[in-house]
Amino acid sequence: MDLLIQLTLNGLFNGAHFALLAMGFALIFGTTGVVHFAYGPVYAVGAYAIWALAVLVGLPFWAAVLLGVALTAALGVGCYLFIYRPFEISGSPPFVVLVASLGLFIVMKNLIGIVFGTGVKTVDSVAYDVHFVGNAFFTTVQLGQVAAALLVGCGIALFLRASRYGKAIRAMADNREMATVIGIDTTRLSILVFALGSAVSAVAGSLVLLRDGLNPNMGFGAVFVAFVAVIVGGVGSLRGAVIAAFLLAFVQSLGMWQIPTEWQNTIVFVVLFGFLLARPSGIVRRA
Amino acid sequence: MEYLAHILVMVCLYGILATSFNLLIGFGGIFALAHATFYASGAYAAGILATKLGIGFPLTLLAGTVVTAAIGLLVAFPAMRVGSHYLVVITLALQAITIDVLMNSKPLTGGPDGIPGIPPVSLFGTALTSPVSFLPLAAVMAALCCAVAWRLGASPFGRSLRAMRENEAAAQAVGKNLVRMKLVVFAMSAGLASVAGTLVAHYIAFVNPESFTIEETILILAMVILGGMGNLWGSLAGAAILVLLPEGLKFVHVPGDIADMVRQVIYGVVLIVILRLRPEGLFPETVFRTSTGAARSSVPANGPPTGALERASGTPGEVVVSATSLSKHFGGIQAVKDLTIDLKRGEIVGLIGPNGAGKTTAFNLLSGFLRPTGGTILYRGRDVTKLKPHEVVAAGLARSFQDLKLFTKLTVVENILVSLPAQPGDRPLDVYFRPGLVRRADRENVARALEIASFVGLLAKADETAANLSYAEEKLLVIARLLATGADVLLLDEPLSGLDTVTVERICGVIRDLARANKAVCIIEHNLEVIRGVCDEIVFIDEGRVLTKGPPDTLMRDRELAERYFG
Amino acid sequence: MTEIHTMPIAEPVLEVRGLSAGYGKRAVVHEVDLTVRAGEIRVLLGHNGAGKTTLVRTVFGLLRPTSGTVRYRGEDITRRRCADNVKAGIALVPQGHGIFRSLTVRENLELGAYTAQDPAEIRVNRDAVMDLFPILRERAGQIAGTMSGGQQQMLAMGMALMHRPDVMILDEPSIGLAPNLVQRVMEAIAEVNRTLRMAVLMVEQNVVHALPIAQSVTVLRTGRKIYEGPPEPLGDRQYLMTLF
Repeated sequence: MDLLIQLTLNGLFNGAHFALLAMGFALIFGTTGVVHFAYGPVYAVGAYAIWALAVLVGLPFWAAVLLGVALTAALGVGCYLFIYRPFEISGSPPFVVLVASLGLFIVMKNLIGIVFGTGVKTVDSVAYDVHFVGNAFFTTVQLGQVAAALLVGCGIALFLRASRYGKAIRAMADNREMATVIGIDTTRLSILVFALGSAVSAVAGSLVLLRDGLNPNMGFGAVFVAFVAVIVGGVGSLRGAVIAAFLLAFVQSLGMWQIPTEWQNTIVFVVLFGFLLARPSGIVRRA
Repeated sequence: MEYLAHILVMVCLYGILATSFNLLIGFGGIFALAHATFYASGAYAAGILATKLGIGFPLTLLAGTVVTAAIGLLVAFPAMRVGSHYLVVITLALQAITIDVLMNSKPLTGGPDGIPGIPPVSLFGTALTSPVSFLPLAAVMAALCCAVAWRLGASPFGRSLRAMRENEAAAQAVGKNLVRMKLVVFAMSAGLASVAGTLVAHYIAFVNPESFTIEETILILAMVILGGMGNLWGSLAGAAILVLLPEGLKFVHVPGDIADMVRQVIYGVVLIVILRLRPEGLFPETVFRTSTGAARSSVPANGPPTGALERASGTPGEVVVSATSLSKHFGGIQAVKDLTIDLKRGEIVGLIGPNGAGKTTAFNLLSGFLRPTGGTILYRGRDVTKLKPHEVVAAGLARSFQDLKLFTKLTVVENILVSLPAQPGDRPLDVYFRPGLVRRADRENVARALEIASFVGLLAKADETAANLSYAEEKLLVIARLLATGADVLLLDEPLSGLDTVTVERICGVIRDLARANKAVCIIEHNLEVIRGVCDEIVFIDEGRVLTKGPPDTLMRDRELAERYFG
Repeated sequence: MTEIHTMPIAEPVLEVRGLSAGYGKRAVVHEVDLTVRAGEIRVLLGHNGAGKTTLVRTVFGLLRPTSGTVRYRGEDITRRRCADNVKAGIALVPQGHGIFRSLTVRENLELGAYTAQDPAEIRVNRDAVMDLFPILRERAGQIAGTMSGGQQQMLAMGMALMHRPDVMILDEPSIGLAPNLVQRVMEAIAEVNRTLRMAVLMVEQNVVHALPIAQSVTVLRTGRKIYEGPPEPLGDRQYLMTLF
């Protein structure tokens, strides 16, 4: 019973983490159609930047996070402006952009390794508590993940619903040509979603830094989970991506009841495959 | 010396990986990013068999190839159901699972530690332990693998693969069995990749999961793209360049693990730069185009078609296709209901009706691209209702598309060649084991394709890429391709739209010739003047059903029809 | 190609001269002249593939012409971006899905006024549009994609009207609609034209329903203009047959 509670809790916290990653990726992919593989390393760079600012520079953790999030947003925009946009302008087929993003992926991932080394990076200056539910436990950082997912989720939802730019983003994701027809500047919006999506990933990165620490390989798992969540959730639906992220986390976590921990990716794959066969349009279908 | 030999061995191994990957993505256009999985499968098969069961080299190679080809077939199945982004995600997931399996099946794979102590290859009593001694074997195997890949790529089957890459629907419409083609190319690509795996396992004497991650797939992809998609020689060059390029790092003193990462960075940068500057790669695929040199002299430059138009057997006026009460609904929308239509030998039927009347849907039903919800289609008495598109073509009924769907990167003559029926060169077994037959047949086919090109007036452009044609020439090529299928029932979807009057007359002439050659022709057209000029009968469709049919002049005078057509 | 004018000639809003356009190497429109005058409804007829859509997309700035000029109120706008044309007072209602299907009706309308800044003005315009199409007020909170085809077409027009354009270009508003709905859509277009005194350029294939509201007609065949003048002669279907 305790094990079940622990696994459920883990599912919840991991789900929050996955949801953050999925929201960032969904914003970018859903709006611009760019399969942004480098989203993974961008997220990793963000987390490393926060680590460097907090540990090497010695900034207070909150300041490091703020600055790190801003840097990550800038890096995301850089990816768009210097790598993807030139391809868009020259009318390259989608697969060319996809391959370019793979190239960017290995460049950034290995640059992290070169600059920061391959060892695990942690922050020790931030103390947090451990809470117990029976014999099951969780930490304040994990609570923070749920809070961040909630806050960011609500924030994005509000932004997309209520603001002029938010509506324009939804419009562009819905029908890009029609967005142009009513006078929306799609380049400016692309910059905006790359900034937003990358910033969201850095928030997730800051919490993972506290929870698990960092390694240069963390990007692949992140973009993989985010991509799968977006496909399973239904391309173009932020809500679907969040639901799918939690679903993946719970299946993974509860799967561990019977299946050894190491098979996490395989579990994700089974969920993905089942969904693609049974419901190719994802959990939330577009109108 | 040993160092140089080692580099050359690596060039050989990556040469195998890159050429085999090129078959899949460059020729087949299938974006399955799991090549490192096939590579790993060969390596681990060799490692496990050699260390656990004591099986030696040639057998490990054979076993690895068979197992990996089977894995390739398994991956082919999702590749048939989903395309584009979904295939990328699925294959990436497969890549991730591969690592999971290698890491976690400890008793078999040794987990993260891998399998050490794999015995080297022994040939003629000597163990090939040093790079210098291994190099000849690597070179021979690489040559062999490239020959196998090259044979397939340069064969008519390879041509069909490239056609499938350009446009899947059109490839089906000229009679290609895409399922079979994808299975073959996946199995071949995977099997060849595993050869490199087996070799590397015996060569390094050690395998571990780290060598087969997503980065490895991206590296091989970079080699293919650098060399040029669809050009196998290019892949060899790409492999050589990307293996050699980072070797310069040896001369500056960087620690081993950093050097590894710098190498990856170089690969990534090369990939992005080549995509920006030369997306077709260093060596475009032109080498693999079919040459028409020898066959050209035998074709009269502008003379009457000698054999381009075989007269279809049977008596003129005989009903060849009879579709009865066809219906089709999509969700709640009834696109076609109770549609009955007969096509007769030597007759041209015009299908007209307002936009959205269901004309193209009718074509899709007749050609097997859609399965009707009700009704039957008989072709010379045989029920073809449930056949797949390529089977319908084989039976004798072919169609064209409103949006042309040409094989853009193929030449004019290749577009026609691909469409010729029953080619021995389309059967992989014949490609390898009956080369004489394949060569003879293809020589005849090239000649025939040139005849057809000459018939529609495209002979001068035979070696031009379809992408370089004018719109009128593209439309002519569509007809040539349709002709090449050898079908005796031809469905043409808007063959004349968007053309100037001269080309319209020319194509109308060709269409009349088709009917004179005893073929049954059905065209969808909006230009009523043309319809009146060319058709023997008009079938007026509205709201998915046949409203009326009859000779053009009678129908055109019908006031009520005019109201419907314009309303 | 004789032009017959029974009314006093109003000033031109849109003037297209010698416009050629196409996709890649495929030329679809050949040297077409076309004038839309203030307050008139000009209908652009032609069979499928005649180049009607290409022509209006080029006029609006979604496609670059290969040659020729487009003038709006005397100003050359030939290679201007869509966003600028929208601001200047041109609206396009594209063929098929001229709406954002996953957004609500209200949001769609607001987005129609994306280039406008003043919220009060947007509100006034929205009320005016909703007065014109009461169904949009009724369905304001509904997801646009779940409405019927006719209602979606009303919404698409409503969006175009949200920034009070001087000229509205409609690309086959009748496509995919049942005949009685086509009638309603045409009436709505006529009403917009009448009450707002707005010039309309309408691409249509549906001759029966489009002609009654047309004040002038242009017919294209395979990318060339083959008729220009009043709608009346086209009432003769036999004549139409020869044109198509």
